[in-house]
Amino acid sequence: MPILEVRDLKKNFENTQVLKGISFDLEEGEAISIIGSSGSGKTTLLRCLNFLETADEGTITVRGKKLFDGAKPVTNQDELRKMRLHFGLVFQQFNLFPQYTALENVTLAPLLAAEGGDKAGIIENGKRLLDQMGLSDRMDNYPHQLSGGQQQRVAIARALALKPDILCFDEPTSALDPELTGEVLKVIRNLAEKKTTMIIVTHEMAFARDVADKAIFMDGGVILEQGSAKELINNPKEERTRQFLSGLAK
Amino acid sequence: MFWTVTLSLLEGFLGTIKLFILTLIFSLPLGLFISFGSMSKYAVIKYPIRFIIWIIRGTPLMLQLLVIYYGPGIFFGVNVWGSNPSGRFVAALFAFVINYACYFSEIYRGGIQSIPVGQYEAGQVLGMTKRQIFNKIILLQVIKRIVPPISNEVITLVKDTSLARVIAVYEIIWNGQAFIKSSGIIWPLFYTGAFYLIFSGLLTFLFGYIEKKLSYFR
Repeated sequence: MPILEVRDLKKNFENTQVLKGISFDLEEGEAISIIGSSGSGKTTLLRCLNFLETADEGTITVRGKKLFDGAKPVTNQDELRKMRLHFGLVFQQFNLFPQYTALENVTLAPLLAAEGGDKAGIIENGKRLLDQMGLSDRMDNYPHQLSGGQQQRVAIARALALKPDILCFDEPTSALDPELTGEVLKVIRNLAEKKTTMIIVTHEMAFARDVADKAIFMDGGVILEQGSAKELINNPKEERTRQFLSGLAK
Repeated sequence: MFWTVTLSLLEGFLGTIKLFILTLIFSLPLGLFISFGSMSKYAVIKYPIRFIIWIIRGTPLMLQLLVIYYGPGIFFGVNVWGSNPSGRFVAALFAFVINYACYFSEIYRGGIQSIPVGQYEAGQVLGMTKRQIFNKIILLQVIKRIVPPISNEVITLVKDTSLARVIAVYEIIWNGQAFIKSSGIIWPLFYTGAFYLIFSGLLTFLFGYIEKKLSYFR
């Protein structure tokens, strides 16, 4: 059984249909990369999965349990909050909390959720995650004291701290200087090797091909092509996919 | 004579400070509620609140003092404030609180709306409640941004308290002016300026300290 089943997801903004029926599966331990030009609906798809946007139609099923059904969307804030915990999201702009140190950024939400539970354990876990991100000497730094690549790695640790079923990345290196993208891609690569279930929206084609098991090419709100990441990026079947990939190569 | 004047002015200044502190105690929180109202998604709340803010910010505080003190008696035939000094003080306090709460609310609104939407979304995807997001993430960032404009308003308030004397509330200018009639000297009135300067100097230090305390993040 796939960990995530998305069926016929549709989303309109005003009069434009941004998602025109998206369906795909994701197996536990797999990474899937989503590629496509800007405006193709990639980011909207991620935002619908994290319930930052409410899809108009379609279903989202996690571990066999129907989490979302466009026919009867959840409006209860508490339920919405619980639904979001199945997914983690790493933003393009990091969105770290500026008034908290790297470690506090990672432990804030788990500590609030635990309500005085195993405080020491949460902090230990936060330190371990930052260590895993190669930031053991940066735990007490505030975001403005960190480089973009370091900030993004803190953001990844922050998302992992809540142990989401599926971790989503929204163009995680697009806001970074080219020389800083490597360190972020490396930690995502490590996560893939540890069989973290991930959905990665990215413009880094070589990365999308090498790290992900599967790839999805989106265009104009539909999935035009999906399959093994290597196949799709090395030998695209659709003309439009070829166009997109060769346009990038130029 | 100098000591007599100083003591009298100090006594008047106590009235000034009383009005100043009580105005802040009530208007700072009230302003937050007004700012929530002015940002409400419900038009029946938002537009009346914005209308009131427009009236309050669009008319002189001195006029508001007069309307609030004399208005109930003239329009409804009831003198709600009484005619003793404490009644006049309460009327003045009421006018100051409403006036400053409206100004503060606009500062709060600007501060809250300047926080990037990504901060809210980051809290949301981490499963935090709306209340947790506001209290633990947004609030301190807002405070940091509004300290400079709030300090501006607070220093203006120190001097605006002198307007209270249009409804005969005793404060320092009132006492300074009294010497013109009683002793025929004007320098006590000018001397009041020193009290304002020292007090606003202290406030400048205080706000500088707060700003520095909040400079550990950006």
